[in-house]
Amino acid sequence: MDFLCGIRGRDFVMVCSDTSAVQSIVTMKQDEDKLVPVDSHRLFAISGEAGDRVNFSEYIIANVRLYALRNGSQLSTKAVANFTRSELATALRKSPYQTNLLMAGYDEGSGPALYWCDYLATLHHMNICGTGYGSYFVLSMWDKLWHPDLSQDEALELMRKAVAEVRARLVVAPPKYLVKVVDKDGIRTVAEL
Amino acid sequence: MMRISCPLIDGPATSAAQDACGLRELGVGGAPVDSFPLPAVQDIDSFEREVVEYVKPNHGTTTLGFIFQGGVIIAVDSRASQGSYISSQTVKKVIEINPYLLGTMAGGAADCQFWERNLGRQCRLYELANGKRITVRGASKLLANTMFSYRGMGLSMGTMVAGWDEAGPGLYYVDSDGQRTKGKLFSVGSGSLYAYGVLDEGYRWDLSVEEAVELGLRSIYHATFRDAASGGTVSVYHVTQEGWTKVRGEDVGELHFRFYPDPAKHPCNSVDPLAV
Amino acid sequence: MATALPVRAQVPAAGQATKQHASWSPYDDNGGTVVAVAGDDYCIVAASTRMSTGYSILTRNKSKILRLNPKCVVASAGMQADMETLHKMLHSRHVTYQFNHRRPMSCPATAQLLSNTLYYKRFFPYYTFNLCAGLDDEGRGAVYTYDAIGSYERVGYGCQGSGKELIQPVLDNQLKAASPLVLPQQQWLSSLPLEQAVDLVKGAFVSAGERDIYTGDDVEILIITKDGIRTDSLQLKRD
Repeated sequence: MDFLCGIRGRDFVMVCSDTSAVQSIVTMKQDEDKLVPVDSHRLFAISGEAGDRVNFSEYIIANVRLYALRNGSQLSTKAVANFTRSELATALRKSPYQTNLLMAGYDEGSGPALYWCDYLATLHHMNICGTGYGSYFVLSMWDKLWHPDLSQDEALELMRKAVAEVRARLVVAPPKYLVKVVDKDGIRTVAEL
Repeated sequence: MMRISCPLIDGPATSAAQDACGLRELGVGGAPVDSFPLPAVQDIDSFEREVVEYVKPNHGTTTLGFIFQGGVIIAVDSRASQGSYISSQTVKKVIEINPYLLGTMAGGAADCQFWERNLGRQCRLYELANGKRITVRGASKLLANTMFSYRGMGLSMGTMVAGWDEAGPGLYYVDSDGQRTKGKLFSVGSGSLYAYGVLDEGYRWDLSVEEAVELGLRSIYHATFRDAASGGTVSVYHVTQEGWTKVRGEDVGELHFRFYPDPAKHPCNSVDPLAV
Repeated sequence: MATALPVRAQVPAAGQATKQHASWSPYDDNGGTVVAVAGDDYCIVAASTRMSTGYSILTRNKSKILRLNPKCVVASAGMQADMETLHKMLHSRHVTYQFNHRRPMSCPATAQLLSNTLYYKRFFPYYTFNLCAGLDDEGRGAVYTYDAIGSYERVGYGCQGSGKELIQPVLDNQLKAASPLVLPQQQWLSSLPLEQAVDLVKGAFVSAGERDIYTGDDVEILIITKDGIRTDSLQLKRD
């Protein structure tokens, strides 16, 4: 069962995903990176059906990069999020993509942004968010622990607690997780849990 | 004593009725399966599913219980819903079986209410027959046995039996499948996943009583925040050697503003850049 | 060659008939709304008298209230056949109770009896939505609400039946008091003067009659006080 979650901190966004690639009841591999970079300061965390997931994200990423090449400037996180939502909504009435995604980014000026979008193209700006069964356990915990001045160390601690909770409680808990952060310096992997 | 013969009263439905509430059968065991009138259909299972659509019994809950250094904490919400309609905000989901035993209520309200009342009766009879209080282990087993005898009949009940006996604090999870497990920490109901999130994060064995009560309260509050089928008031009970006491009863609406006096600091109030 | 005699259809013995059409259902909703409001020394019980099935109105004057004794009544909405059965059952249980105990059954006792009676039919429920109302042992108004299979709770006011989604919020707005579960204990029974409460109930029914097709025609109102049961009525629109 896919699990994604994200936290918006004071001047960064931290996202976490499991790293399992699953086919039917079989785990195909244990080191799938579901946190894919869109450009230097934006990344997608994508869950859902394997084919749709890769196809859709590659399509969006290619178009976002094409825009940057043509116009000589990068789209903001907000613009990327709304473009993604729009493409997902158009597809929904033709051939829907079964993908839920989190979009994390850091913009010069407006700072960190975290968006949650489901396969029905519901888009929302969030401070904390998650998808999958694991998020049930995590969201309430973060409701309690989150505060606006969260530092990166604190956020990583929240991630550790979240992953520990999912491991402890979720029947179909994935074994490995990856945590990345986006801030003014770009995208970095901060932990493998 | 004279009995008046009246077909309505002596009919099968009523005699069954007397049995189930223990007027006739005063044994400690659960009421026999055939004491409830069944519909004359071939497939009871699908009939019961259809019935649920018609009568929409009360559902939806968050309950939790845990053992710690200072005894047992039980905390529950108080909402009952029938589908999307909130049928009550004041349900008493902790059933006080006797001064040392508590039962919690999740799943079908009628199933829980009836069978835990029945459990209270069985425990009292045990007391009268043996001259001592029943153990938590024994009480939960009585309930589990009753549940097991009705398995596959569509009962819906997830309960915790908590209390204090000679072995110290006790906490058992019993459900309508007949499952019965002993444990230190449980949460049951539609909001249980949310409650677990907060509970696991804050739980330690050496919590002080005050901290433990606050943790129970906080866990239920956060579950009512995320789970639409939970809400109303949070009730917290504390069980010690001297029996149980109700320690807190707080309106969720007021709790929210106590925990989050500044709306801007709430995680769910992000500034929405979509609204230009 | 002798013609074969037509084979007679087999009539199954009662209770043996398990063959049935897949879509057959033993239930029908005849609609109707019942309301009860408790006060310090009174209890108001009101029930619409329309009985319908689907879009057809079957009758305009069907009482939904069972008067057990001067201090306790049961009001039921839902399926008329089950209501009739349930009321007959409660009535006969009440009669035998009086033979055995030489006094009428109290309201809290009736409330528990109704709960048990409903639960015994757990696997083949009465399709009824009930209120039990009257005066408790201290003479205060008492209202008990139920679900169809017997979970019950004492409340200050209650509403059941087809108009409950319309009427209950109005009652909440006018009568809601602190939850009985809060600590420290607070007054959880809000009481209006009797005349105001009757007006509130009447107003609620008039509103429900405007928007619920199963509520209309007449409202039967019982006012229970220590002096006995007084009746009142309200005409609703007949469309």
